[in-house]
Amino acid sequence: MNPTDNTPGNHNTSGEGAGKGTMKPGFHNTDGQGIAGHGSFFQATDLSRDEAVKATEWVRKHVDRRTVDLGDRMDDVREHMWELEKDGEIIVHRIRDEHEPIDVKLLFGWNKRIPTKRLWHHKSCGQCGNIPGYPTSLLWFMNQFGYEPGKDYLDETDQTSCTAWNYHGSGIGNVESLAAVFLRNFHQAYISGKQHGFDEGHFYPLVHCGTSFGNYKEIRKYLIESAELREKVKKILGKLGRLVDGKLVIPEEVVHYSEWVHVMRHRIAELQKYDMSHIRVANHVACHYYKMVHEDAVYDENVLGGNRTAIGTSVAQALGAQVIDYSTWYDCCGFGFRHIISEREFTRSFTMNRKIRVAKEEAGADVLIANDTGCITTMDKNQWIGKSHGQDFQVPIMADVQLAALACGADPFKIVQLQWHASPCEDLVEKMGISWDDAKAKFQDYLKEVEQGNIDYLYNPELAYGGRA
Amino acid sequence: MATYAEMQQIYDDIRGDFRYDHELNGCLNCGICTATCPSAQFYDYSPREIVQLLWTENVEQIYDAMQEKIWACAQCMTCAARCPFKNSPGGLVMIMREVAIKHGMQSAKDVLRPFGRVMLKLITTGNQLSPDMIQPDHFPDWGPNIQKVEGDLKILRKAIPVQTLQTVDTAWEVSLKTSVEMYTIWEMTGVLKSLELMDENLFDVIEDFIDEKKEDYEDWLEEQEDDD
Repeated sequence: MNPTDNTPGNHNTSGEGAGKGTMKPGFHNTDGQGIAGHGSFFQATDLSRDEAVKATEWVRKHVDRRTVDLGDRMDDVREHMWELEKDGEIIVHRIRDEHEPIDVKLLFGWNKRIPTKRLWHHKSCGQCGNIPGYPTSLLWFMNQFGYEPGKDYLDETDQTSCTAWNYHGSGIGNVESLAAVFLRNFHQAYISGKQHGFDEGHFYPLVHCGTSFGNYKEIRKYLIESAELREKVKKILGKLGRLVDGKLVIPEEVVHYSEWVHVMRHRIAELQKYDMSHIRVANHVACHYYKMVHEDAVYDENVLGGNRTAIGTSVAQALGAQVIDYSTWYDCCGFGFRHIISEREFTRSFTMNRKIRVAKEEAGADVLIANDTGCITTMDKNQWIGKSHGQDFQVPIMADVQLAALACGADPFKIVQLQWHASPCEDLVEKMGISWDDAKAKFQDYLKEVEQGNIDYLYNPELAYGGRA
Repeated sequence: MATYAEMQQIYDDIRGDFRYDHELNGCLNCGICTATCPSAQFYDYSPREIVQLLWTENVEQIYDAMQEKIWACAQCMTCAARCPFKNSPGGLVMIMREVAIKHGMQSAKDVLRPFGRVMLKLITTGNQLSPDMIQPDHFPDWGPNIQKVEGDLKILRKAIPVQTLQTVDTAWEVSLKTSVEMYTIWEMTGVLKSLELMDENLFDVIEDFIDEKKEDYEDWLEEQEDDD
């Protein structure tokens, strides 16, 4: 230990640090102001460094690792879910060994199992309508890993959106409608295997949208906690023929696609074709991923020291890109649900000032990635209008899985579908060493084939309608 | 302007929501929610104020906040993640919005009028957004080049290598049976009733659409029986 360190337990012998507001921890005060100006009742402990380390061990272990909420203050709703199943009230859609789950740690150190195979794709209306390269990149990866469509994953027409975008935007809807929609979709996921020759529970739902993910977790919590809500929605699900043995089906975990990307990142990196070491990646994680039901977001002590959610950053790191921090990383994107439709001045001002400007000017990012529908739409589409206010800066915007697909050699148009993006994705593609013009020309030729009905599919289209491929 | 009794009823409905006790646990007035709130940077809106009004049961100012303020919230839930008391101002705002609709408040009608197109899409198709809504004509502020390849929308959508996504007026293809199940959910949970209270014209359009789809489904079921 350096005797001149101004660390806890050191005595101030030089007089440095004394005075109002400048006293450092461990310094003896000489002016009656106490430590750091907090008042005379705050006095130095006179502990040695070792003693100080020992005394604060609990703080580092528990507070820094965010486990302070363990115990009485934070309930793990999953424990109650198992009790409900034991009491015969619900059926839990289990993650089984065949789903090849990988364990991750959540905010408070709790465990969560992420299924990696036999997945039912719960699509996102914003992604499919507006950013189709999002789901296609994900399905492309599954094919790259040798997954068999119709057995190892399923995408079908028997699915609605979660309807939560509308709910959060307008207030039209209610907990019962959201719960019924959640249970209807997840019941379909539970039974979907039967049409393809498998048992119930074969396919496990993988939720693509951040808001669906947050909303479903919140609704699952209410369903587990409220017998009254369960009773109400049971009548609805019964009328729809969506009960199993007269019971509601609730998933063991609500799983987001970006969690799948996170646990698969090293396998993704094995497919890598383009060097990413010169690419500066800034990351925006969706609020509804890690702030809504925040106890269920993935943290990894090997990613950003476990101090922020690992999502997004982990796959960029696995691909060898430079992950660049920026001061407004915690801010939302400005989507606002209602705002992006009818209060656009808020949305575009917020995203330009708090996200795009900072990603460009402070981080010097080559790309800003995100893990949700609304964030990508907001940040991608609202850059052009900035010019009218002299904000002439742009940053390519895409999903983590799209960036990963590009790095692994997916076609920028046919698979990553960058033609739907408004931000300058061509700049990133070129910097990665892929010719944008060549890829575009190839795609325009392919469009002529499409006009003739010659379409390349990632899976046999019959699977979407419940048929066997 | 509502009478005090009406305002009291509105407050009682907010307090009567089963989520209320989840979302409101006390308040230190620390303001960390407002410090991290995106809407607070642009509007006369503060999540701390919402919590304080409810915590102090200030029925008149709660009513006042429901005229405009509650619609400023962006629903990011940053406030909920930050609150040391585990309050969810964003969650309380959702309860207040639902109650504003239940009471047919004019503020809700005014705010939701531009949202009608999205609601029409959602209620009738189960998708909230479709490719034909994301066109330069509808979003001129997104610029002239919101797509990087020119071409017919139908062909561009056909070039997506996933069957369910090759649609133009929905984000993905939703089966008729699925849509009818969703209409049942809307009916049984009072969503259509709320819609009628907010916008009668929109409700009429939606009701006609739903009736037509239900008839299509009945016809389809009969065809299946005949085939058997």
